[in-house]
Amino acid sequence: MRKLVAVIKREYTQRVRAKMFIITTILLPVSMLLFGIVPVLVLNIESGNVFRLVVVDGTGKMFDRFRTALLNREMPEPDPDPAKRGQAVEKESRSFSLEELRAGSAGSTTNELERRLQQNQIDGYLILPTDLMEGGKAQFFRRNTGDFFINRRVHDALDKTVRDQRLIDANVDAKTLGALDDAVDFETTRISKSGQERDDSGGMALVFGVGFIMYLSVLLYGQVVLGSVIEEKETRIAEVLFSSVRPFTLMIGKLVGVSLVALTQLAIWALAFVALSLYGISALKSRGLPTGLPNIPLSVYVYFVLFFLLGYFVYSTLYALVGSIVTTPQEGGQLAMPIVLVLVIAFYFFLPVSRNPDSDFAFWISLVPFFAPIAMLVRIVTQTPPFWQIALSLFIGFATVAFLTWLTSRIYRIGMLMYGKRASIPEIVRWVRQS
Amino acid sequence: MTNNEITVRVDRVSKSFGDFTAVKDLSLIVRAGRVFGLLGPNGAGKSTSIRMIVNITAPDTGRIELFGRHIDSQLQDRIGYLPEERGLYKRMKVADQLRFFAELKNVSGKSANERIDYWLARLRLSEWKLKRTGELSKGMQQKIQFISAVLHDPDLVILDEPFSGLDPVNVELLKDVVLELKRAGKTIIFSTHLMNIAERICDDICLLNRAEKVLDGSIREVKSSFGRNCVALRIQGSNGNLNSSKLVSNIEHHSDEMEVLLTADADPQEFLKQLINSGAIVTKFEMIEPSLNDIFIEKVSET
Repeated sequence: MRKLVAVIKREYTQRVRAKMFIITTILLPVSMLLFGIVPVLVLNIESGNVFRLVVVDGTGKMFDRFRTALLNREMPEPDPDPAKRGQAVEKESRSFSLEELRAGSAGSTTNELERRLQQNQIDGYLILPTDLMEGGKAQFFRRNTGDFFINRRVHDALDKTVRDQRLIDANVDAKTLGALDDAVDFETTRISKSGQERDDSGGMALVFGVGFIMYLSVLLYGQVVLGSVIEEKETRIAEVLFSSVRPFTLMIGKLVGVSLVALTQLAIWALAFVALSLYGISALKSRGLPTGLPNIPLSVYVYFVLFFLLGYFVYSTLYALVGSIVTTPQEGGQLAMPIVLVLVIAFYFFLPVSRNPDSDFAFWISLVPFFAPIAMLVRIVTQTPPFWQIALSLFIGFATVAFLTWLTSRIYRIGMLMYGKRASIPEIVRWVRQS
Repeated sequence: MTNNEITVRVDRVSKSFGDFTAVKDLSLIVRAGRVFGLLGPNGAGKSTSIRMIVNITAPDTGRIELFGRHIDSQLQDRIGYLPEERGLYKRMKVADQLRFFAELKNVSGKSANERIDYWLARLRLSEWKLKRTGELSKGMQQKIQFISAVLHDPDLVILDEPFSGLDPVNVELLKDVVLELKRAGKTIIFSTHLMNIAERICDDICLLNRAEKVLDGSIREVKSSFGRNCVALRIQGSNGNLNSSKLVSNIEHHSDEMEVLLTADADPQEFLKQLINSGAIVTKFEMIEPSLNDIFIEKVSET
């Protein structure tokens, strides 16, 4: 036991102390921060500038409606707190200052408006023709037409104004008008054997998330496992190790040690992600968008963890197996390509299994160790299979991990004594048989 | 000889890799508390034999016993092994590295620390304790590796070519340490092709050549069984009739003296008389035993 702990401790501390580990661990949250928060900040800076817009209203009745549409772009649902409602409108209204001119009034000539535009007294002007309601063309002039956001907002607001006006002209009352903008409430409810439960699309998203994290950690740490197995071969330390510790213990120690490193890094990233999410959620809430975790029973979260670990270990041991055969990391990288392919195939089963989670196909797929982590999770969140199937899938999976580890240590022990060249398949078979 | 006195018993052991026979029908006994030299030219099967004794590879046929028991992984903790292929974790600090190897031999971290300090001081490496191993010179790394082999106070120390790559000062240092271990009652097996060192520290030897044992026994026995009439001679003046003497079978010239091999039944006293009568001034006349080197070369070229 002390030997196993020693191997785990060495693998862990050596890697966690390495500069690369510290850099990548810090870099990811920092780049999340850069890509997630900085654009928002930059956009906020932009909206600080008031866009001074002159509207020449040829119809004589559109300005007020246009103003409302432009300033309350989203027509936010009435906030229960009146104070906040006021704030939202005020915040939006900061981005535009509007001036209305009657068509034909003194300042409304094109020349005069152009002069004011050039002297930077205004930022743009909008000309609404008399026949706007009958299909006339509205014209928007400004110095900088590259600002997509402003163009879009003016255009949208004008669309809405014209549409509303047409409805009013057709004698639709204001109440109906408001109701037109309400979206349909849509909720998918699944009926499971234990009774009625709520929407599960959140669960599917989580499965996808877990699958993606698994994919990421296998990509990142498979190579580390590979390198860790090759390390003693390259440095010729294996001979000393084998005079002290059984190869199986060594392999288990390496797998666990590297995995703890991976989990440490994932945990740090997860904390950073949660912190950023809390910030993000509060930002979303302020805009009135739905937030919150999907409603999933605790047992399912336990399965998420178990199948994540299963997936991680199944693929890590494959990398270890490759490491036991080859002599250099470069060789190992080539030989490890098919592993990633299998993982991608596991992802492809996502759709067929989620469409028919109760089919024979889904059942068998979810028992294959290389596909189970994703396939079984999909089944659990869609139509939870009987417990024995989940247990069987986990059992087969972890038995495979143990077998692969044994096989790896076997090949490793004999291969390590024959330096210099990669083993051929018949040689490997003979090594496994040899004691 | 009771079992208590025998540390290693190798009984009719063979090992081959494919068509290549590395060790053939090897039997030998290593007695407790003695220094056992496994000698032989490159590729004679020394390292393979040692790997089987350390339980890294298993023999194809035959049996190996350590401390009177069939070898297993628990017995491994009582062995200290310095392999021929040296290897250390380059990026680990010296102290961390040694502690790791001690823990692999079931030594607790606390007692490992005391022993690390003792051994680093003994091999004059204390100031390197907190350096990364990769920063050390090759000779220093080799001493670190030696420490890792003896740190857990093993009863049996197996050193595969321990002196290769060391400067003369460090060879002496290491030789002293080996003799210290012997005085502490440890059994030591080491392989080398440096015969002058083997001669100075081995009690028993086994000479391997082409996978087979050529001879074994205590150094005394081996040398006396090789009894030869050999004289180390330094003379001034005439030596013209040396070659013509019927008593001489061969002469080997060194810088200022010569080794004269007399015929098997020649009387050395008679030879000395002849020299004096011939008018030579004899400043050195010494009967010498054959060196291990001579035996080695003779036996290896014989087979």
